[in-house]
Amino acid sequence: MKMRRKKIKIRQLKMHSNQSEKAQRFMPPQDSMGHFTGEFMVDLERVRQEIGHNSDVHFREFHIGSKDIRAAIIFVDGLSDKELIDKHIMKSMMINFSEEYKQDPSILNQTVLKEFIKNQVLSISELSEVHDLYDLISKVLTGSTALLVTGVSEVLILGTTKGKSRNIEEPVSEALVRGPRVGFTETLSDNTALLRQHGDNRSLSIIQFQVGLRAKKKLVIAYMNEIAGPELVEEVKNRIKKINIDDLPESGYVEQLIEDNYLSPFPQVQNTERPDRVIGALMEGRVAILLDGTPFALIVPVTFSMLLQSPEDYYERWLPGSLIRLLRYLTVFISLFAPSLYIAFISFHPGMIPTKLALSIIGAREGVPFPALIEALLMEISIEILREAGLRLPKPIGPAMGIVGGLIIGEAAVQAGIISPVMVIIVSLTAISSFAIPQYSVGITLRILRFAAMFCAAMLGLYGIILFFLLLSSHLVKLKSFGVPFISPAAPYRVSDWKDFMIRMPLMMMKRRPKIMQTKDSIRKG
Amino acid sequence: MKQRHKNVRLLFRFLSFLLLLTLTGCWSQREIEELGLVVGIALDLEKDKSLEEALERNENRYPDKALMTITNQLITSETTGAGKKEGKSQQKAYNNVSESGDAILPVLRNMVLRSDKHLFAQHLKVIVIGEDLARTVNLNQILDFFLRGQEVRPSSIILIAKNRASKTLESKEPAVIPALHLIQISKGQERTTKILPPISLGKLSGKLHSESSFLLQNVSTKNGEVKFEGASLIDGRAKKLRGFLNEKDLEGITWVTGKGKGGLVKSLDEKTGQLIIYEIESMKSKIRPHVVGNNISFEVNISSEGRIAENWVVSRKVSENEFLKRAEKVSKKEVERLVKNVLDKTQKEYQADVLGFGDRLRIEYPKVWENVKKDWDQTFSKIPIKYNVKLTITDYGTSVLNK
Amino acid sequence: MKGNERAMIVNLKDRITTSQAAVVLVNYILAAGILTLPRTSVEKVKTPDVWITVILGGLIAIMAGIIIVKLSQQYPKKTFYQYSQELLGKWVGGLLCLLIVGYFFTLSAFEVRTLSEVTGFFLLEDTPAWAIIMPFMWIGLYLIMGGINPMARLFSLIFPISVVVFLLVAFMSSGIFELDNLRPVLGLGIKPILAGLKTTGLMFLGPEIMLLLVAFMQQPDKAVKVILVGVSIPMIFYVITVVMVIGALSVDGVVTRTWPTISLIRSFEIPGLFFERFESFMLVIWIMQIFATFTITYYAAALGLAQLFKKNIHPFMYGLIPIIYIIAMTPKSINDLFKFGDMIGNAALLLFGVMPLLLLIVSKLKEGKHETET
Repeated sequence: MKMRRKKIKIRQLKMHSNQSEKAQRFMPPQDSMGHFTGEFMVDLERVRQEIGHNSDVHFREFHIGSKDIRAAIIFVDGLSDKELIDKHIMKSMMINFSEEYKQDPSILNQTVLKEFIKNQVLSISELSEVHDLYDLISKVLTGSTALLVTGVSEVLILGTTKGKSRNIEEPVSEALVRGPRVGFTETLSDNTALLRQHGDNRSLSIIQFQVGLRAKKKLVIAYMNEIAGPELVEEVKNRIKKINIDDLPESGYVEQLIEDNYLSPFPQVQNTERPDRVIGALMEGRVAILLDGTPFALIVPVTFSMLLQSPEDYYERWLPGSLIRLLRYLTVFISLFAPSLYIAFISFHPGMIPTKLALSIIGAREGVPFPALIEALLMEISIEILREAGLRLPKPIGPAMGIVGGLIIGEAAVQAGIISPVMVIIVSLTAISSFAIPQYSVGITLRILRFAAMFCAAMLGLYGIILFFLLLSSHLVKLKSFGVPFISPAAPYRVSDWKDFMIRMPLMMMKRRPKIMQTKDSIRKG
Repeated sequence: MKQRHKNVRLLFRFLSFLLLLTLTGCWSQREIEELGLVVGIALDLEKDKSLEEALERNENRYPDKALMTITNQLITSETTGAGKKEGKSQQKAYNNVSESGDAILPVLRNMVLRSDKHLFAQHLKVIVIGEDLARTVNLNQILDFFLRGQEVRPSSIILIAKNRASKTLESKEPAVIPALHLIQISKGQERTTKILPPISLGKLSGKLHSESSFLLQNVSTKNGEVKFEGASLIDGRAKKLRGFLNEKDLEGITWVTGKGKGGLVKSLDEKTGQLIIYEIESMKSKIRPHVVGNNISFEVNISSEGRIAENWVVSRKVSENEFLKRAEKVSKKEVERLVKNVLDKTQKEYQADVLGFGDRLRIEYPKVWENVKKDWDQTFSKIPIKYNVKLTITDYGTSVLNK
Repeated sequence: MKGNERAMIVNLKDRITTSQAAVVLVNYILAAGILTLPRTSVEKVKTPDVWITVILGGLIAIMAGIIIVKLSQQYPKKTFYQYSQELLGKWVGGLLCLLIVGYFFTLSAFEVRTLSEVTGFFLLEDTPAWAIIMPFMWIGLYLIMGGINPMARLFSLIFPISVVVFLLVAFMSSGIFELDNLRPVLGLGIKPILAGLKTTGLMFLGPEIMLLLVAFMQQPDKAVKVILVGVSIPMIFYVITVVMVIGALSVDGVVTRTWPTISLIRSFEIPGLFFERFESFMLVIWIMQIFATFTITYYAAALGLAQLFKKNIHPFMYGLIPIIYIIAMTPKSINDLFKFGDMIGNAALLLFGVMPLLLLIVSKLKEGKHETET
């Protein structure tokens, strides 16, 4: 064992050096060439050379005040707020500055000039300095405005980012009957604001990272620093720091790069569009990851039972909440095993179904030319195709598709005697069940596994299904999400967490946070 | 990392193995529509033995005694499906196939030669044994195949048919499946004392293994209709049919064992000679063995509560206590008569304990039982049995008067 | 790739909680026997008092278990394979370990074979035995590669399923239950009960796993509790089984059935429910229990070899598969199989009934010596 651990360590070290090499490859050259000289014309020319060929990058040269102090601003059309630039930069620099200057001409002193501009001229809240050409470029390209002034060797970066954001709308992927009609948008600052808005909570920590080697993006992790376990937060930070990929277009990339087992069919990270869901998770001591440019936030760690929960379970009273949860476990069972059980009983163990049922199935299957497996595959695959097609079609055509596919093809297949009516019932029940699962990604997982179960059933009947179940559970018990066993609290037993497992106990009784999260502060309610 | 790659490798190995299985697999697969579900089996003694034997001698075949005829009631996709789809309601919902031979399995296998369906007995509901066969052949031998194989479920029910068993698996109405019909009737103890609780194959295996005698349900056919009629007494030693008990005897048996769940007592009013019908609501019976020295005796205490369900006695107010007492008395006498009748019959005529007296002795005096159990049926026939009957009328329905 | 560092939070030491240990023990004890127990015990006892025998057998198993636990507690954090050499010297200890390893993989072969017999008989009639056994063993291998912790978690997953299904089926069978079949109690005195004691005692084979399990426990001092709970639960299962089977089939009927428990479930049908037949349920949980027993014994054997030769455990896991398979295919008939089972039972009696007590005495003596010397 010791030997192995050592080996692993060495390997990790190697990995580390590898990684830094890789990182360097994407880095811009870091020599003195990048630094500004302070010569206005030289610096401006260099900036022009780097990004001047882009039509959307605007260079505006002007004179400060009436004197011959040359200056220039550089900004990207559309990304920067032009009104802000006009009112608070151009006007301040060109008109207000000259008035000030008239009162006190000694301002010309170059060292004072920068401070003077910063402190007394620009009426802009977000302001920083850069010394380096590449820093300038990256800031400008994200919407800031750069200000070059003659004789000043630093460039001032003015926060004028306007960004394009859409209005806050109801989340499409997770509709609720009862609950806030608010969803995340593509703008990170809006999303963090939504979290902040939730209430005056000084415990909410939002920590920013930059990810993506070529296209730099903002990524934020959010947690309650008085609740979340410090080990968990560290682990999340570590894993995010290790992401090295040139671009992350969506949080799905982050999910796939930080999950524990990339071979597992199960999602080990939860995604959501709902701020209330994120807040709920943070209060359980979990950590949320938000990426700029996508409305989908990630929540870690996650357990299988959490993936089957909906925020509405808590908004409704406990009895309906609990019953709906039980129903969801049933749908999981149906969508995983219904077709395979049908195959097993029909093709292998017709003796184990009730006599009358056997009689009616025999009648129904009279003349069907395929064995049960082929019949099931035929139907399952056509349902999958229908689903996929319905997803891609423009909205008005979608329902028509459903009618054509579901009703006409199903009915015709039965009439033609290719498929037995019982099979149609089983397949549609299964499909509906997999849509009833609140987390879309889990539904997909179950659909994939269903096919495996069907093959197992077609080979070894009920025994095959048991083997499949054992294999699946053997995999599940090994799976962990950020150190939390994926199927807890079912195994290992955490009796105290069972209050929020298959059924949701009344809020009066849920006094503690989930134990598996190892929170700092376990009491939820006095 | 190493661990992880191992897992990957293992996963692939497993997958390739699964693939291998799909190539060769599906050994036990058998589609349901290819099966012929056997729902009922009738076993009869071979009808015309001499003819069959003559035939055999001529053909000089394997010495097949052709001891019995087996009739299988089959349900196949043709019998269930076709009728529904094309509206051919006249077609029979079942198909009876008969074949003769000297043992059960070979006969069943011979049917393979005549049918495209795979015979499948897991849905077997009822085994009917013909009177002649049950009288001549040991039940243990007849039923061995059914008890040994895994296909026949121990929940199937055993019946004895008066005359031919195969007749009981026929029905006039084509839509009715006789085997399922029989099962429904066999559970009728809710409302009559004239039927025994059904005996399943599983329970029978225990009874056959012990030495004691027991009863089986009896069916008879008249004009193409089946009827449950009395019971058959199976001898504990020879495991053969000893004789029949009629419906009256059966009523007595139900009273002594106390296992009835409902039923009627029909008696005549002493004064008017009119009918009074007593309906049983609850029934209890306690058999008490007494052992003094070497003398064994039994005491049976029967108690029942019920109500007057039908009254033919004219112009009497039913609610009067005096009348209720009278009714109780006549009903009680009737029950006593039934009990006496059956005790006489079992003790004297058949000399077989089918009423569970031996069981009570075994439970309360296990050591005495060990001594007498060898010749219990003999011993039983000479044991004095006392019985007390107590009936209580608790209720007289919605009508107080009877005009 | 980053897995090892990711596992940082995970407790690297393979430790299991007290309740997990109890679940492991329960799942280990419940195995092949539950299908045959009513017959084997009634054959010996011949009266309906079998359930008393079962309880007594359980008590004996608890006693043996406590001795084993006491022995293991003398050497904290060490499995039997590690401390036996310390206690008995390199050669004697090593030999004993090899014997126990042999016992474990033979037992696991026995379980696998029983599985293939029952599955081949009731579920898959024409499927060859290798097709039943091979995938089963591969899945077992996949599970035990993860070590004791995933195993314990899997068992805690299948344990409640087994309990619920078992109780459900037992409850369903109450329709054909007749109390008279179970009476009289102690009608022929205590003698017949004692006749079946060995049979029922061997049904509780399982406490021997504590020789290894104590070393994995977070709180080894609670091991006695594990034994008490871990044996009592199977005892309840067994008593319910015996009572229900005899109650329905009677003493005379039970002895005629090869697999009386399955016969019991096949003896009733409850029409109106979606499933009117319940043997599939029983077989499902039974196969799961067999899987549990198989993986534990398999792991115990591999662990023994690994600790004995101080090598990585994975090659041994792979290596044991063909051995177990060959042993499983050795018995030629079902009678051979039952005889094979009896043989394992006798070996267990010697290895785990007598030996731990001797070792406990030896270790106490040694300890005493040490104290007087110093």
